[in-house]
Parts: sequence; structure tokens; C-alpha cells
Amino acid sequence: MTTFELVTLDETAARPQALGGRRVLRRLRRNPLALAGLIVVVVAVILAIFANQIAPFAPDHTNFSAALTPPSARHWFGTDELGRDQLSRVLFGLRVSLSVAALSVALSLVVGVPLGLAAGFYGFLDPLVSRVADTLLAFPFLILAVGLAAILGPSLGTATIAIGVGNVPAIIRITRSEALRLRGLDFVAAAVADGASDFVVLRRHILPNAVNTLIVQATVAAPAAIIGEAVLSFLGLGIRPPNPSLGVMLASAQPLFRDGPWLAVLPGICIVIVTLGLNLLGDGLRDALDPRESPR
Amino acid sequence: MTAGNGVPEQSARDWTIESVPSVESVPSAESVPSAESVPSVGRVPSVESVPSSLSGRETLLSVRDLSVRFRTEDGPVLAVDAVSFDVGQREVLALVGESGCGKSVTAMALTRLLPSNANISGAVKLGSRSLLDLSEPDLRDVRGKDIAYVFQEPMTSLNPVLTVGRQIGEVLRRHQQMRGAAVIRRATELLDLVGIPLPDRRVREYPHQLSGGMRQRVMIAMAVACRPKLLVADEPTTALDVTVQAGILDVLRDLRAEIGTAVLLITHDLGVVADLADRVVVMYAGRTIEEAGTDVLFARHSHPYTRGLLEAVPNPQRRADGGLREIPGRVPTMRNSPAACTFAARCEFADEQCSRERPALLPGPAGHPVRCFHPLPATAEALT
Repeated sequence: MTTFELVTLDETAARPQALGGRRVLRRLRRNPLALAGLIVVVVAVILAIFANQIAPFAPDHTNFSAALTPPSARHWFGTDELGRDQLSRVLFGLRVSLSVAALSVALSLVVGVPLGLAAGFYGFLDPLVSRVADTLLAFPFLILAVGLAAILGPSLGTATIAIGVGNVPAIIRITRSEALRLRGLDFVAAAVADGASDFVVLRRHILPNAVNTLIVQATVAAPAAIIGEAVLSFLGLGIRPPNPSLGVMLASAQPLFRDGPWLAVLPGICIVIVTLGLNLLGDGLRDALDPRESPR
Repeated sequence: MTAGNGVPEQSARDWTIESVPSVESVPSAESVPSAESVPSVGRVPSVESVPSSLSGRETLLSVRDLSVRFRTEDGPVLAVDAVSFDVGQREVLALVGESGCGKSVTAMALTRLLPSNANISGAVKLGSRSLLDLSEPDLRDVRGKDIAYVFQEPMTSLNPVLTVGRQIGEVLRRHQQMRGAAVIRRATELLDLVGIPLPDRRVREYPHQLSGGMRQRVMIAMAVACRPKLLVADEPTTALDVTVQAGILDVLRDLRAEIGTAVLLITHDLGVVADLADRVVVMYAGRTIEEAGTDVLFARHSHPYTRGLLEAVPNPQRRADGGLREIPGRVPTMRNSPAACTFAARCEFADEQCSRERPALLPGPAGHPVRCFHPLPATAEALT
């Protein structure tokens, strides 16, 4: 079959590529910023998980003879007005902040993605879902949180739910617009012509192509959740003293800023680093997950 | 699936009456040699008798009075107007016409692959199953398994985030309940079948790593994965360059021989028709206007529109007398089925009757069905 040979000349061979997770990891490694982000996030998660073992003091251990000491060899991050070791509190605070961020983002994805897919894929559901999302978006986040706290009682769980729910409209809108865009593409039509059900089309064709956008949104939402938790805790709607979170530490350092600037600065830097790490990782993941090496 | 208003029902009834003799009564021609190239100048018809509608094959797909009406913001649009045709077992039937003639809509309507604003009426039978009456889940079993589609745009018809093997495998999992390593093995075989070199490597690659011709081969591999009874190829080579086109046509021809699938070929490329098709249905503005065996159509076509299409084929030997000819005007958009010839406005033979009466699809001077009041005489040579 000579024609095949002719055609083969025209269709040059591409490099073979490894599949799945290994490929993503390799691509991530090639991007130094993403790699830095990955390292930061992994280190933060490890520190948070092993806070018990790593922390030099109990987070609520007070020592009034060493109150408000600046960073030193004994207390790397200094102590607060009650003589509590700030490094220990940051480590435990990291645990709280990261879990609130992870759980609230997970919650908003679990609720928002199916709703967004449904709204984008089924035209008749769109007005309903979109109006509900708009209404939720118009609702001030704090009012929502206070309302929830009134119903469920103030706790870390309540704060997580409030933050997650507050994030749902954004997820719905993004997922919806992705579904709307992808639904019109040829490969979706081709899948339908091959006998794919709506569920298969959504799960295998639309969702995987929307993942990149969702990852970026998640990495933006996670730092916002850390800040949101701080705000709610500051208002007494989140974690209760003496338990620390990064946000609470930041907030409670406010009146002491002149006497102990490290109390605000060090947890603040931690938030910045974690946020930055998440964002860099998110950007890198988005690029690494895209099977096209260069944008079309 | 009911008609929107009174007019189409009227037209459907007209149609049934006029179409019956044309489909059944024509004698058969066994030997229709496949044409080797684009129609050449003054080619003498190689067959004596007029080919029948099915060249003596058993009917696989029968379409009767298929009409498709779209509700749009600008009012109703009649895209397909009471079209009837049959596809025989292992037959390649070409659906030919300009863009906007309703070819693709006809093909999509077979398995109700149309947006929700489409209203389909008529009857589509695959074997003994009436497709338009099937429930959506039953229809999903037909799609991709009994009737598979290959679309025009290979560049965008594959999911960019799934490997080739996964995408072919999806069809196998869905329709053949294949699981595990067997899926990838079969996908590799299929890639080999459609002439993709190094199939065991390609199967792990993503669509962006393949060229357009390769992707179209992958699409074909997906389409034939379940050995469909009918392969609908909607302008399968339009987006590809000429050398790649030839390869794709070879693949289609080989597959037809190998797995015995019938092909409904939708195209406006008469070179492809001459190359591949056994029989041709010419569509214009949603109606079938001529139906004949491929060789007969090229040699003894009767409809002025068919002649226009044939004359619009670029031909180096005709450059002397004025270069490329074209049909003046454009395909009209139909709101309803007019009691007139839809081609009248562009036809050089049109007279008052053409704009007043609907021509019927009746055996014309050359013996095959044509919808025209002033068909070209049977002695007309192909391209003069």
C-alpha cells in the first residue's frame, strides 16, 4: 500500500510520552517556580501534620517570666504576652489553617462542580442554578457566616462550612462557563455520536477538560480561606482561644504590635509563604496537566 | 415527532406517492466498476442498464419521508424536506450537494443527533428497528455500535486530555463490555487496521501529538471499533490535504472490504464520490433531486443542478473554454416546503411551471429518478 507510505512521510513521529502522574510530576520538576511551590506546600503540610512532634512547647503552655520576649535561640519566633512559644503556636496554627483551607475548598468543589456542570450542560437548569448562585454571591459573606453560626453554633466546623459555602458561587460560575464552552466542542459531539450517555460525557469529556481552570480557582480560594478563617475567628465565629490558627495569631497580635512586632510579622510571613506556595503550585499544575506542550 | 403545521404533511403525502415507483422498479446492474479518478471529459458510460436503487443488495437502512424542521429565533427552518433513500448492505451511498443542502442534518437525524430545537419526522429503519421511535437509552446503544460517525474535523473531534487508547477504549468498554488489558490490545489492533504506523506507541499518545490525517484515522478506528453496520462519514477528507485524503479513502475502502460495513458518505467532493461510492443521492435545499449509480450519474445525469455540480469540478483540460464554471447564486433557506422547484431561481431552464409546481421525483430520460420538469436529455454527455 503505497499511499500509506506516502502518508507516513507526511505524518512525522512524535516522541513517546510517559503516562499520567509520572508525566505530570516530571513536567512539574522542569518548572522551577512550580517545584518551589510544591516544596513549600509539602513542607507546610508535613509541619502541620507533625506539629505535635516538632513543636518545642505545647501551644497553650504559658510562662509569664518569659512573656513578650523577641525571637531567640530558645523561642525562635519569640513569645506572646502570656509567654507562649510562638513557633509552637504557628505550627499548630498552620494545622488549623491548612485544614480549614482544604476542607472549605473541598466543600465548595463538591457542591459547586456538579451544580455548575448541570447548569452549563442542561440549558433548562441554568436559570435556576445561576440565579441561586447570584443570590448567594450578593449575600455578604460575613452575614452568611454569622447566620450559620447562629444556627450551628460558633465553631471551626461552622467557619469551614461558611467559607466553603461562600466560595460555592464562584465555583458554580466557573464550572458552568467551562461546561458551556466544552459542550459545544466537536469531541463532545463525537462522544455523543459514539453512544456516550450524558453522565459519561460530563465525567469523561467535560470535567477533565475543566480541571485546569478549577485547580487555578482552588489555589486562589485556599489562601482566601485562610484569611477568611482569621476574620471569622477574630469575630469569635471560628476557632476559640486558646487554640491558635495563623489568622487568630495575626489578629490577636494587633494591639501588641508596638511591643511585640514579631507576633504579627512572623505568622503573617507564614501566611504569605503558604499562599505563595499554593499559587505557584497551582500555576505549575495547570501547565503540567495540559497534555499539549505548547498552547495552540 | 409530529409535523408542526399542515404544509409538511401535505408534502409528505405527495412524496410517498411519487417516490414509490422510483425506488422499486428500476432494473439492477451488477457490475459498476469503481471509477479510477475524477470524472474525465466526455467519459462514455460503461454500463448499459440503469442501476437499481440498491445494486441488487439487501436493504440495510431505509429512510422514508425524513423531514427535519428547526425552530429558530428567525422562525422555522426546513432543513430536510421529505427525503427518502435506502442503503444496501456493504454499499457506499454518497449524499452530495452544496453546503446547506441538508446532507449533514439528514445523517445526524438518523440517530436523532440533533439539538433539541429540531423536529424530526418520517421513518428511519435499520433492519427491522425503527430508529426514530427508540428511547434515548436504546438509541445510545445504536450510536457507535450499529451506526457510527466520522466527522469532518479531525483536529477537534478528539478529546485533548485523553490518550488515543483511552478514547478508543471508551467505545469498546461501552459497547463491547471489554475491560482491562484487552481494551488497549484491541485499540492497538484497530490503530493498525486503519494504517497507523507504530500502533503500540501511538495508542499511548495524546491527540495533539498526531497530525490531522492520523487523527482522522483514529476517528475511523473509533468508529469501526464495534464493527458497525453503517458508517456515516460526514466529509471525512474535507479538512485534510490531498495526499492524506487518498490515504483516508484507502482506509475506508479497505474497511468496507474487511468488516463489511456500509458507508453513507457525505461530501461535496465529486472526486471522492467517483472514487468510493456505488450510488449517489444528490440533495438540493433539503430535497433529493436525483438518484443514480455513480457511473450513470457522471455520464448521464438529468438534473441541471447535478450538471452544475459536475461542471464546477476543477478540470485542467477545460481551462481553454473559460476556466472554472460555477452555479450562480446560493442555496436558499427554506421556511416550509414550497410548491415549486427549489432550484428554479438558479436554473437556466427554469420557466413559469418551475416556480408554480413542485416537481416530482420520477424516472427521467436516463431512467433513474430525477426531480425536474426540464431534465437534460438522456443523450447528454457527461461534461461537454
